[in-house]
Amino acid sequence: MYAYLMRRLLSTIPVLFGVLLLVFSMLHLVPGDPVKMMLGEFQTSPEQIAKLQSQLHLNEPLPQQFGRYVWNVLHGDLGTSIRSNKPVTQEIMDNLPSTLQLALAGLLIAGVLGITLGVLAAVKQYSWLDVGSMLVALIGISMPSFWLGLLFIFAFSLRFRLFPATGGGDLKHLVLPAVTLGLGAAAIIARLTRSSMLEVMRHEYVTTARAKGIKESRVIIRHALKNALIPVVTIFGLQFGQLLAGTVVIETVFGRPGIGRLIVDAILNKDFPLVQGIVLVVAVSYVIVNLIVDLVYAFLDPRIRYE
Amino acid sequence: MDPHASPSAITYYITASTAESLLYLDDQRAIKPHLAASYDVSTDGKSFTFKLNQDVTFQDDTPFNAAAVKWNFDRIVDPNFKAGGALSSLTGYTGTDVVDDYTAKVNFKDPFAPFLTYAAGGTLAFISPTATPKQGTAVNTTPVMTGPFKISEYVAKDHCTLTSWTVYERKSPWASQAGPGYLEKITWKFVPEAGTRTTTVESGETQMVDVVVGQDLTPLAANKDLKIMKKPWTGAPRIWLLNVILAPTDELEVRQAINYAIDKDAIVNTVYKGLGTKAIAPMTKVMLDDPSLEAYYPYDQNKAKQILDAAGWKGDSGIRQKDGKPLKLVLNAIDYGGGPEQTVILIQGQLREVGIDVQIKAQARPPWYEDNYKGATNGPVLFLRSGDLDGLYALFYSANVGTNFNWAMLKDNTIDQLLLQGRQESDPAKRNAIYLQIEKKLMDMAVSVPLVDELSVFVMRQNVYGLQFNGYTYPVVAGCYLS
Repeated sequence: MYAYLMRRLLSTIPVLFGVLLLVFSMLHLVPGDPVKMMLGEFQTSPEQIAKLQSQLHLNEPLPQQFGRYVWNVLHGDLGTSIRSNKPVTQEIMDNLPSTLQLALAGLLIAGVLGITLGVLAAVKQYSWLDVGSMLVALIGISMPSFWLGLLFIFAFSLRFRLFPATGGGDLKHLVLPAVTLGLGAAAIIARLTRSSMLEVMRHEYVTTARAKGIKESRVIIRHALKNALIPVVTIFGLQFGQLLAGTVVIETVFGRPGIGRLIVDAILNKDFPLVQGIVLVVAVSYVIVNLIVDLVYAFLDPRIRYE
Repeated sequence: MDPHASPSAITYYITASTAESLLYLDDQRAIKPHLAASYDVSTDGKSFTFKLNQDVTFQDDTPFNAAAVKWNFDRIVDPNFKAGGALSSLTGYTGTDVVDDYTAKVNFKDPFAPFLTYAAGGTLAFISPTATPKQGTAVNTTPVMTGPFKISEYVAKDHCTLTSWTVYERKSPWASQAGPGYLEKITWKFVPEAGTRTTTVESGETQMVDVVVGQDLTPLAANKDLKIMKKPWTGAPRIWLLNVILAPTDELEVRQAINYAIDKDAIVNTVYKGLGTKAIAPMTKVMLDDPSLEAYYPYDQNKAKQILDAAGWKGDSGIRQKDGKPLKLVLNAIDYGGGPEQTVILIQGQLREVGIDVQIKAQARPPWYEDNYKGATNGPVLFLRSGDLDGLYALFYSANVGTNFNWAMLKDNTIDQLLLQGRQESDPAKRNAIYLQIEKKLMDMAVSVPLVDELSVFVMRQNVYGLQFNGYTYPVVAGCYLS
């Protein structure tokens, strides 16, 4: 297990290096003068333009700039936001908790709802429960999240007045955005869980477990579900990335602060240091989550550790 | 939230209740004393002497005095400081003399009549000279000011909380009585999605919302739990500046035809739906209204076609041509993520009917600005908030080509001279006459298409009272209360 862990950790290094190189290149791939773009609507003197060029070290050779960038990133310095004048690290740390809270809550809803529906559909194959679960899953996949969000606001904020429509803060503010975010992922997980369960339940060890007289619920949870979850866990990692991306829309519809809105505003304002910082943090989060998924995968399927 | 650094109108929405200036522009656009008890303008119009009220302190107990005035104005023009809209309010500023503790003399290189209006604006509001240097970047979120409310918390993209500054004892120019506001706390929530924003006031989650979209206004007006307040914006209307140095809008006839071919009533009725009225000139009617301006360019597609025919742009159907070149132009539009605004799409359709092919270049703000500085398109659609007719200086003075906001790329000696005269003339009636002359000349030259005089619209619950607008049309919520 230790060797596997080390091997996976080492394999993230070239990925992270590639991420750093791509993020660094962003500034230089933009057509036109990035400094003039960044200063945009401010009335600026040539001195201020020169100052920002110097602040961003744009007058240095590219390899030197990249070396400096990597060094600064390794020391936790992601630069300063052009728009707010605040350190990028601080901007991200101010917004990341809200987005992580939303993404994790969405993932939790997706997991609980998706696995439950998937198992029920598989166990009661061809019953109304199966058809109903898969219909819900189909709707979940097909419905755009911004529209679903507006429907929820209309129903649960305006008509029934159960939950607030906007803002971050306590759990009440989290319910509608998290459900909106999680439903799409729940649909995918439900369909995958169903097909995986159906496949596993045809295996001989499940028949053997039943023949031994083990309770059906124990057969399903202990014997079938654990094995059926292996591909589902992989999807969890991918879905986490999807959910992070999905927060862009959800945060806008529900007026929540977070990384999604931060990056959209940063892109619209051509705030390159902030865009670079967010892309880097999101990419690293994605790498870390997939690393965790691989480790869980190894836990669920011991064969993987020895390959 | 730093009033000197911000280029965003939303800053002044919020600071209208937390910050104060030397003077106050009331909702009838009359200048009244505020932090200054009185003022005097030198005969050459280059110096303004303010006698300050002596009972004013900042929210950190720093006294407000002449030294504070000097510190604030010097900060704005400091080349190492990235100023926002405040910088143009101090054009030609040469310094402030601290005559005594409570007398400040503000000096300019040239006569600068609009300074009195600017001295009443949010961009020249005061922040504490003691707290600010110690705050570092926190001045961008929680500046220390002199108003009846403090900015106690600012969470980007979520909310900004104002709390009553309970020791405030003065009588604000907008208030009916002395002392702080009635409310202990006011929260500005930032909700970007218009539909969600509207829902919050309908459900009672918020008490008041701003920036509703046209189609929402009618159902909101029919809702008995709600009431609506409207106030015309000052400054330039929603306006299309036509680039006078780039073909084909470098031709007067093309610009005139565009003005005749655009149906402003249709834009007002289909897009704005109660959020605006037809514009008649490069400044809104509330700034300067005159029957002579109303007469310019009535909607007349046949007239537009005749002008284009006479100018050699021919074509019975489809896109007109001259010397083998199609009559094609590029309109520069901002895309906030949902595509270009509906107004420019309507313009595109209307001009197509007279044989002009409009291509919409919808893009984010920074490249939109960059194209405007370079004159890379046939002009942008924009609005400009300004409390003084001197806003025309920013839009049409030749030195402002390549910067903010002469994006018609106009360099005209007569206009320049008149704009300078407007800055030098302190008599209100004579100033108005000068600016009327400027507007008529600009309309003759067809350097823009004034589209819509926009309204600031607030929708609120029936139990909300006390909302006021200052002379810049920013909402003053400090006097609000709930019944």
